[in-house]
Parts: sequence; structure tokens; C-alpha cells
Amino acid sequence: MRKLGLVLLVLGLVATSALGLSACGGSSSGKEGGMLVGTYASFPSYLDPALSYEVEGWTAMYDTYLPLLTYAHANGGAGSKVVPALAESMPKISNGGKTYTLTLRKGLEYSDGTPVRASDFKSSIERMFKLNSAGSGFYEGIVGAEKFAETKAGGIPGIKTNDKTGRIEIDLAAPRGTFSNELAMLYAAVLPSGTPAKNMTNDPPPATGPYMITKVEAGRSWSYARNPHWAKSNSQISEVPSGHVDKIEIKVVSNDSTQVNEIERGKADWMQTPISADLYNKVKDRYEGTQFRVERPINFYLFWMNTERPPFDDLKVRQAVNYAIDPAALERIYAGSLVAMHQILPEGMPGHEPFNLYPHNMVKAKQLIEEANPSDRNVTVWTDNESPNDEAGAYYEGVLNELGFNAKLKTINGEGYYPLVGNESTPDLDTGWLAFYEDYPHPNDFLQLLFSGESIAPTSNTNFSRFDDPKVTAKIKQLDEEPLGAKQESEYAALDKEIMEQAPIAPYGTNTVSTFVSSAVNLDGVVFNPTFGQDLTSFEFK
Amino acid sequence: MASETNGEVTPAVAGSPWRLAWRRLRRNGVALAFLGLFGLIVVFCLAAPLWASEVAHTGPNKSHTLKKLHVGGEEREVVNREGKPIGPQWLEAGGRFFLGADGRLGRDEMVRLMYGGRTSLAIGFAAAALTTILGTLLGLLAGYYGGWSDTLISRVMDVIWAFPVTLLAISLGLALAVGGLQIGPLQLSGSSVWITILIIGGVYVPYMARPIRGEVLALREKEFVEAAEAQGAAPARIMLKELLPNLSSTIIVFFALNVANAMLLEALLSFLGVGVQPPNGSWGTMLSSGLDLLSSAPMLTYLPGTMILLTVLAVNVFADGLRDAFDPKSRLRIEAHSGLSAAESIEGIAP
Amino acid sequence: MGRFAIRRLIGMVAVLFAVSVIVFLVFNVIPSSDPAHRMAGRAASPRLIASINQEWGFDDPLPQQYLTMMEKVFSGELISYFGRENVDERILEGIPATFSLCAGAAVIWLFFGLLFGYLSAMKAGGPLDRALTIAAVAGLSMPIPFLAAIFLNYLTYKTEIFPSGEYVDLTANPLEWANHLVVPWITLAILYVGFYSRVLRSNMLDAMNEDYVRTARAKGLSERRVIRRHVLRNSLVPIVTLFGLDVGALLGGAIVVEGLFNVNGIGQYAYESLKNLDLPPIMAITLFGAFFIVLFNALVDVAYAWLDPRIRLGTSAQ
Repeated sequence: MRKLGLVLLVLGLVATSALGLSACGGSSSGKEGGMLVGTYASFPSYLDPALSYEVEGWTAMYDTYLPLLTYAHANGGAGSKVVPALAESMPKISNGGKTYTLTLRKGLEYSDGTPVRASDFKSSIERMFKLNSAGSGFYEGIVGAEKFAETKAGGIPGIKTNDKTGRIEIDLAAPRGTFSNELAMLYAAVLPSGTPAKNMTNDPPPATGPYMITKVEAGRSWSYARNPHWAKSNSQISEVPSGHVDKIEIKVVSNDSTQVNEIERGKADWMQTPISADLYNKVKDRYEGTQFRVERPINFYLFWMNTERPPFDDLKVRQAVNYAIDPAALERIYAGSLVAMHQILPEGMPGHEPFNLYPHNMVKAKQLIEEANPSDRNVTVWTDNESPNDEAGAYYEGVLNELGFNAKLKTINGEGYYPLVGNESTPDLDTGWLAFYEDYPHPNDFLQLLFSGESIAPTSNTNFSRFDDPKVTAKIKQLDEEPLGAKQESEYAALDKEIMEQAPIAPYGTNTVSTFVSSAVNLDGVVFNPTFGQDLTSFEFK
Repeated sequence: MASETNGEVTPAVAGSPWRLAWRRLRRNGVALAFLGLFGLIVVFCLAAPLWASEVAHTGPNKSHTLKKLHVGGEEREVVNREGKPIGPQWLEAGGRFFLGADGRLGRDEMVRLMYGGRTSLAIGFAAAALTTILGTLLGLLAGYYGGWSDTLISRVMDVIWAFPVTLLAISLGLALAVGGLQIGPLQLSGSSVWITILIIGGVYVPYMARPIRGEVLALREKEFVEAAEAQGAAPARIMLKELLPNLSSTIIVFFALNVANAMLLEALLSFLGVGVQPPNGSWGTMLSSGLDLLSSAPMLTYLPGTMILLTVLAVNVFADGLRDAFDPKSRLRIEAHSGLSAAESIEGIAP
Repeated sequence: MGRFAIRRLIGMVAVLFAVSVIVFLVFNVIPSSDPAHRMAGRAASPRLIASINQEWGFDDPLPQQYLTMMEKVFSGELISYFGRENVDERILEGIPATFSLCAGAAVIWLFFGLLFGYLSAMKAGGPLDRALTIAAVAGLSMPIPFLAAIFLNYLTYKTEIFPSGEYVDLTANPLEWANHLVVPWITLAILYVGFYSRVLRSNMLDAMNEDYVRTARAKGLSERRVIRRHVLRNSLVPIVTLFGLDVGALLGGAIVVEGLFNVNGIGQYAYESLKNLDLPPIMAITLFGAFFIVLFNALVDVAYAWLDPRIRLGTSAQ
């Protein structure tokens, strides 16, 4: 009898631990631990959450620095959902959408052992303003923030915190439907109050997430290890997984052929850089399903048309361009990595309902041009010089010439492109290429910047088409003030169509990226968040 | 006195230096062969419009991404769905896409190679001409007048010389590629080929001005110059009639070398995107875009790269032959490279 | 000698000053280089742009901005616009890699250049001579990006003979250090090997005809002693001056080679900064490079005067 009891006990223990292990391990039976070697084509501009404005930095810090809220660690549309991170639950929105109240979870600690306090949130936001970060624009709606940004003194009165209760109250000057999304951006990551107001890339601040950055070699590499205080105090955050591998090392390898080479040989496990057109199809054919997977970040590529100047001030001309663009040609130019689409809100963005108002029809396009008969046929086409964008620009130039225009292509060195075409004193801003990537997965991010009349600015302009329809501007503003729900999503979808009927732009597709891992890594387990990229906690070895 | 050229002994013969040089050159089979190669390349490039209109029926910048070729009953896509350009067709499509397509825009590689060569050669020659003219002029003025004009010119040359050549050229290329150049009435758009010519031509001026100055310094002491001065000849006349002819062999050799250097620098700048701007193409830009497709279409890299190599090689070998023909003794060699002529260094340390 | 040295020193400083002014002007004239707008990101409010202008001093008049930047270059406080890194620190970190690349390439080209030149001169006119000459000129005529592409393709990707880029510290692993640098060394050296071999060859051929050599032969000295004592020593003098000048200017070539092969040195930093139109690093690196050029120019002049007996003895032969 006692022997049977012992056997049952042992079996019971084994069963429970097996269940426990599989619950922690996520979706597979991979092994825990190991060191992941990753490669980037260039060192991220910043490894400081308050300063990083590029996806490369976001991917690197998604699991290291947590804000009050975060994006669900899931693939596809599910990854666009905002969930609580350092906060106990989603914010309580009151006062007509102008007050956000959150409570910090209890017992949270940084990777150096110090406790996380509610006032740390306030000082982190203030630090971001002191740094003149590119992200400060998202938080200027907080009461007193603008004044603080100018003077850098006196703190932000609109953020009130209580370290004892962990309560955080944020007052906005006006209702802002995108604010939860903005609270989930890395700019709002909570850092210790004493963190100096300078670029901390080379001396990373303590982490709140499952992985902490242990070493940085400027321009060359950086490494992660498990954050010991995650398991101890922070793993109560069920929305953020704990990660499988123990260590991660990222090196900068500038040539993407080299990166592909290293992964094929197993010297690296993952490459953050999208594979260039040269090798894309070879890698895809050979490794799709086993080591390679296509991912859909939220972006769209388009040609903007300046609606304030001839010839693009004529609706018929703009619609003709939309009809004239041939997705088959662009598919080839992007070597298969582009997914054709002809609207503003791409797949994965809430409010996306597929439609195509202008299916390719060159005959119709030429007919419209004939009807419009524009007198000014000289058109300057702008593009940047990174392949294949310059080729897309060259293709577009060819299309315009075919339509009877006299188009001239102007190629601008990559970094200088946006400031140049966003500056209204630049002559001949007729039309050009654009790649628009999201800041966060909320439709307002796309619509306001590109199509609101209020966004037209003399410099740093984002409304390249200079599209100014008071009804559209008002609608965008109205929807922005409401929190995002099913009703708002269908209204956004309608707005998408309404704007495309006026055709201020000619969108042509969404660019995909890829996850390419070595044979030692479990491909199916890798999670790709549309905003943050590959989730480091999801990598595990087979 | 007998002299040695390539290990052969040439008996001393009376005759003008030009005839002597010509005779030596004629005997240099290798140099002439490479001159012939260069000539072939030039003809190849000059034939571009002919090929474009008669054989390929397309221009260098016309894209054919969606075109399909009908060859021997089958249909071939110029650019397939995955963005891979078609390979060399040779004569199968009647000469169209002889060397294949140039990438995802589906342009005719052969036509682009020919037109690109025109651009590269034109830039090479124009820039070399600029360097030679300016270098000679400045070297003459500095060497002959001496004094403050020498100091001024030499200082300016020093400053340009102090820049690492690549850095200077790239910086200027970046600066001017967008806004173009505007000096008084002269206005050049950012994508004008002249900007590249000016940059490349200008950057090498010190490397020529210094040796010329050195030679002028040495020549100035010679009797025939002193005689001309004593006769009251104007400086300009002296420079033109007395000095320049004695410099001519140096100038000619330098010109050839400048062509080679200019072509290499143009290739580098265009490769980096700060030289020739689209839609103009040169071998340098073709090399750059070819490298993007190195794995899937290596020909697109090897074709422009080899053309640059062969052309520069031909020019260099011929320049060598010229040098041997004019001056079997090697003084020119050192000067060409270092800018310190033997004469200059003997005078004392260069100021 | 002292007065001359001081004059020279002042000249050097003047040249560096001019270089810095030119770089500053060139990059402030580019229309799209406006750093404030690029730093401010996409949705930049005028307030943010104003704050950035104030923080970085972009509103100040140009001469003042220039002075501030120069001050920071020398005090080690220069921060880059994009990436906000300490430029001087980054340059210091890159020195080992760049120095390894340049020194290694210099040793290689000097060794092979002199070897080939010597062989060519000794066997002048023969098939070896012709072959080496063609090889030398080919090396001179090679466009670097093309060569780099061929090397990378065949030596690194297709086969795996050499690893790609990534500088490995000499102290950490000497074998790997050399392994990673071999191909960049060869790429950088190829241009110069050809040139040096031909200079030595022609110098030696000329020297072998000089009177003093014939005298030595007549005196009964063995051919080898003749070559070693008289021919070589005099042929090497111009080589030294050339070498000095070339080494000084090596940074330019390093920029391209480091960029192509991912050798994390100053050259690659320059390459990236140029792509980013980031003025502070460009300024610092250009001054760094110019300093070496100017320094080596001066050293070469001194060495030339010291080595060449005609100058030392004060004769002014033509």
C-alpha cells in the first residue's frame, strides 16, 4: 500500500511539474536557455528608450524597458492591442476623455534592485522632454507639458503621482483618443528618477523587463542577460512573457549577404535586417516554413501628389495616376517582398476594410488625362536614393511620361529626403515617393499626419499632398477624441474610402519584412509584433 | 649618351626630342596595343546611339519591367515576378537585351553600358583637362613669379592637399548633389554632370601644380630664360614661348595619368551615390546597382567593373609608354606621385 | 633650424584651420542637412524645433557655432547630431582597427612593392619583368569597390576561406585578428604595390647607369655589392618620401575599404557619418586625417633633406 502511495506521489509530482513547465514554455516543447546570437545591419541610433525613434531600437528594447502599458506580445492583429504592463490595468478614462488614471503594480523592481515608484513615471516623461526627444510631440497634450518643454523647469503639473498608493493621474488639455497607444510607446518607458537627462545608450539604465542590457560597444555590439529581478518581482506582469534564452548577443554586420551567410552556417541565429532583394527569393525558396517566414509590419508605400499645384490640383489627373500604376510592375521592383494594396489603412491596422477604387487600367487613365487636359505638363518626381525606392520612383516617372507628362526624377540622399520634401520652400514639389510607417497601430496616426489640413506646416510637413478638406479634417479630429471601438473602426474605414475618392495619393503596397532564423531556432515560436518587430522573449532553441 | 629603356640600349640619335619620342613610342608594342584597346573602347561607347536605335530599339533609361520577349516561340519575361532580370540574350532577340536586363527596371544592359561609358569617359577627360589646365597654370604662376603669388597659390594647394582626397570629394559631392552650384551667373543643377567634373578636376589640382611648379623653378634658372628676360620679354610671353614647350612632355604624361585617376575617382563617387546622379548613368553607378544584385545577377557587377578596369589599365599602360618615350630617365615618375620634384627638393625644403 | 621649424608649425596650424573652416561651410550650405529638423523626427512641433535649436546652438551666428564646435573638438566634448555620441571617444575606439588595417596594408605593399621592383630591375626586359609590370599596372587601375565585391563573393560567401569584416582585437585573438584583416589588407595594398614596384625598378635602372656605379664596377667590386651599396641605397631615398606621403593620406582609402568590409574603425565611422550628413564626426575625422597628412608631409621633407647627401652637403645641383 505504501509503495503504491509513493508511486502515485511521484507520478503526481512528475505530472504537475510537466504541466508547470509546459505552461511556462509557451507554445512548444523547445529547450530553455542558451545564447541567441543576432545581427543588425547598423547600430540603432539610440539604445535609450526616451530617444529611440526607429524600429531597430524598439525591437531591441521592447523586452527591456516597460512603460505603464504595452502592446500584446502576439502576432498580427492581436499584437496591436494595448495591454497593461507596469500598470495594474488599463487606464480609467474620465472627465470627457481628458483624465487618465492608472495604478502602478505593487512590488515592482528595476534590475538593480531599487523599487519602481509612481513618481518615476513622471520624471521619465520630464526627462524625455528635457532631451528634446523626437517623441515629445506625442505627449505635448498633457497639461503643462508644452511650458515645461520650453522652460525645462517646474515639472509637468498635468501628471500627479502618489508613491504610497502607486496612483498616477494624467490630465490632458483636450481629449485624445490615441493616448493609450502613446502610453504604450517606448518613449514613456519608466526609468529611475535619477537617470541623467543625456543619451544613455552606452550606459544603459536599469531594466524593468525580462531581459536587461549588460554591455554596449558603441557601433559594434550589445548583449542581454536575464533580468534577475524580473523573475523575483516583475513576472506578475502576465502580459509580458519571461523569455526562453538566457543570453542574447547582437552584433552589427553591415552587409546583409554576410548576415544571411552567417545564419545559413549557424554562426548567427537571427537577423533583424530585412533581406535585400538580391537574396530574398533564394532564401525564401530554400527556407520558407523551416527557417524563413514573411511578416507584415504596418506600413504603406505610396506616391503623394501636391494638390495645391497643377497638374495635380485636378481630381481627374490624380485619379488617372491611380489607374495608371500597375501593381505587377511594382511587385517586380520590390522583388516579391511587396504586397499590393491601394488604400490608406493597411492590413493589421484597426479600421482596415479592403477595397480598391482604381484597379489598374491604363486606357481609363489616359482617357481621364484627355478629359482633364492639364496645361502644365512639367512634373518633378522626388524619391530617395535607397534601392528599390529609387527604382519605384523611376518607374513612376516612366508612368507619368506615358500619360503625356514631361516628368523628371530627382533622387535625394536618404537622410535628407524627408526634411527636403517637407519644406515648402523647396521648389517644384509636385509629386514623389513615400514610405509611411506607423508610430503605433491607431488609424489616427496615418490619417492625421497625412490628410489633416491642420498638419500642413512650412517645415517638417507630413501632409505632403497638402490635402485640405475641412470636412475630412474635422472628422479626423472628432474621431481622435473618441477611444477606439468597433464604431470608430468602421468610421475610420469609411473615411479611408472617402479620402481615396479624392485621390490625393496613389498608394501601391505594403512592404513586408521577414523572420530568418538558423536551423537551431524554433521558427514557429517566434512572435512578430507589427509595431515592435521580433519579440526577443519568443526566441527559443529546438 | 646611351640610355636604357626596358633593358635595351638605344643608340644616341640626333633629332628633335619629339621625333625621338615618337620613334621610341612606335617601338613600344605593348603601349600601342593598349592604346588600340582604349580606342576600341571609345568606339564602343561612341556607337551607343547607333546600337540604341538600330539594334536594341530602346534608350538607356527606358524601363521595360513588364515587357515580354518573344524568342523562338517561347515567351520570356524581361523581369520575372520575383524581380530577377533576364540574362544575356546575345542575338536571340535580334540584339535586344544583348547583355540582358540591368535589374528590376528592365533596362537594356548593353545600351546602358555604352551610354554609361560615354559618361565615364567624358567625365574622365573633362576632369583631367580641368586638372591639367589649372595645374599647369597655377604651377607656372607660382614657379615663375615666386614671392607672394607663389605663397598664396602654394598655401591654397596645401590646404586642398591636406584633405584626404576621398573625404573631400565625397563631402563636396554630397553638398552639391542636392542644391547644385551657383556662382554669380553660373548655375548648375545638382544632377548636372558638370558638378562631378568640377569636383574631380579640382581635387587633383595640387598633385599637378606642385610638380609643375618644381619644374618651372628649375627651368627658370636656365640660360635661355635669363636671356629672354634680359631681352625684355613680357612674363606671359616667356611662360608661353620658353617654359611651356619645355613642360609639354610632363603635361602630356600628366594628362594621361589624370584621365586614369579621374575615371577611378568618378567610379568611386558614383558608387557611393555622390557622383553621377540619376537618370544619368555611368559605369560607377552601374557598379553600385549591380552590387545590389551580386548574387542573383553577377554579370551586372562584372560588366561595368571590367570596363572600368580595362579602360583605366589601357590609359595607364599607354601613359607609361609615353613617359618612357619622352623621358627614359624616371624623374617624372617621382614628381607625378609625390609632387616633390628633384629640383624642388634640392632647392631646400619646400616652403 | 629652430626658426624654420616654428615657421613650419605655424604653416601646419594655418592649413588645419583652413581645412576646418571649409568643412564647416560645406556642411552648413547643404540644403537638406538641417540637423534640427532631422533630429526632431516626423511629427515635429515648432516648439520642439525651437528647443533643439536652442540646445544645440543652431540659432547662433555661424562664426560662433564654428568656434563652439572647434572648442568641443579639442576639449573632447563634441557630440554627434544623430546618435548623440561622444565623437572623440568613438574615434579613439576606432583607432586600433584603422591602425591595424593601415599598418598591415603598408607593410604588405612595401614588402611586395620593393620585392617586385627589385626583381623587375634585376631581370629588366625579360618575361618576369613584363609580367610584373602588367600586374603592377593592373593593380593601379582596379576600382576598389569592384575588387572588394569579387573578394567578398569568392573568398567569403561562396567558399569560406576568409571571414567577413568585423575587427577582432589583436590582444584578444591574434590569429583571428589577422584572419579578418587579410582581405581588407590586400584590397588596400593592391593599388600601391604596383606603383612602388615600378618606382623602385626605374630608380634602380637609372642608378645602374650612373657614373659612380660604373666606377664601382671598374674598381672590381662584385655586382652584388655594387647593387647593395650604391644602387639600392640611392633608389630607396625617393621611396621613403613617397611612403611618408602615402601613409599620411591613407585615411582616405581606409574609409572605403573599412566601409565595404565592415572593419569597425575610424574609416567606417566616417563612412556612416557621411551617409548621415552628421557634421561633428565628419569635422573631427577630417581634421584627424588632415593632421596626419600635414604631419607626414613635414616629416618627409625633413627626412628627404637628411637622407639626400646632395642636400645635406648643401650643393645645388640641377
